[in-house]
Amino acid sequence: MNEFEPKVVAFCCQYCAYSAADLAGSMRLQYSPNVRIVKLMCTGKVDVIHLLKAFEGGADAVFVAG
Amino acid sequence: MQYAKKLLDEVGIDSRRVEMFNMGASDAQKFTGAADEMTERARELGPNPIRAKKRES
Amino acid sequence: MIVADRKPFDDIKAMLEGFEKILIVGCGECVSVCMVGGEKEVEILASQLRMAAGKEGKKIEIGEITLERQCDREYLELLKDRINNYDVVVSMACGAGVQFLAEMYDHKIVLPATNTRFIGVTEGEGVWAERCRACSDCVLAETGGICPVTICAKGLLNGPCGGTNDGKCEVDKNKDCAWTLIYNRLDKLGRLDSIREIFPAKRYSVQTRPGRRIHEAFKEKE
Ligand code: SF4
Ligand code: SF4
Repeated sequence: MNEFEPKVVAFCCQYCAYSAADLAGSMRLQYSPNVRIVKLMCTGKVDVIHLLKAFEGGADAVFVAG
Repeated sequence: MQYAKKLLDEVGIDSRRVEMFNMGASDAQKFTGAADEMTERARELGPNPIRAKKRES
Repeated sequence: MIVADRKPFDDIKAMLEGFEKILIVGCGECVSVCMVGGEKEVEILASQLRMAAGKEGKKIEIGEITLERQCDREYLELLKDRINNYDVVVSMACGAGVQFLAEMYDHKIVLPATNTRFIGVTEGEGVWAERCRACSDCVLAETGGICPVTICAKGLLNGPCGGTNDGKCEVDKNKDCAWTLIYNRLDKLGRLDSIREIFPAKRYSVQTRPGRRIHEAFKEKE
């Protein structure tokens, strides 16, 4: 793998951002295929340690959406 | 989020790699915007230095 | 409670240079409450160290454990079986905890991850403030429950000094004058008389270091 394809992790709240992502799908909106979504009950549950662990695991960028 | 950024900077991982976005359930565009923006940032900053090292060895 | 700060990451990293097997030991009491050395902070430090090592392509092994507290032998004993698997121990407790751990396992290198600051209270979310200097001769009965030894910049027992200014301290305009606070509190309590009382010179003789105390019931045994 010479070409760099970033791995992006998205922590999404099941009710807002995950629905938004779902909707983006049904609307056939194009978005970066590099994003892996982690669905959560609520983004209030995201702790810094989860973000750090994502980077430890090799993520190139991480975002929380909610 | 500020705290997470500080912790990453301390380690020498560019804190622009992490971000928080607020959106509602119907904000499909906002979601795709966030996804594209973060992918773009990652491209600009290059591979996560930890992953890069792992691959080398 | 005892309030501490975490040492800057670079300092911790520098202390640990060259060590490969590291045991991080948290403490479940004060430093947990002031969010500096509890279970969560142990996880964060471990993750940071792993990332920093990963970045340099170094291999390290980190153990994580958080004890009920580190200022009692009973809890420190729980490390007995694990500690020998590591080259170095990082304690996230206050200075007392770090020392007790180091004393009990004196064949191990024990390093501190915190800077211990003061005895204080939680003023608000994420804010702690000093309240007591452990002077061993408490005067709070006469000062309306406000400690001049700690709160007054000069530690005056017979204040205020001439620098008191609209309730602020001359040493730092952002800080309240302890003796104005004391006056107002005594006024509120209807005990202003006690401000006229002159305190004799402070008994520094009771502050011998290191402090040591034996409960009456245990004196004979000693
Ligand atoms: S006078 Fe102040 S420093 Fe001394 S014991 Fe009382 S509160 Fe603590
Ligand atoms: S102004 Fe008040 S708090 Fe400041 S040194 Fe004088 S008496 Fe103490």
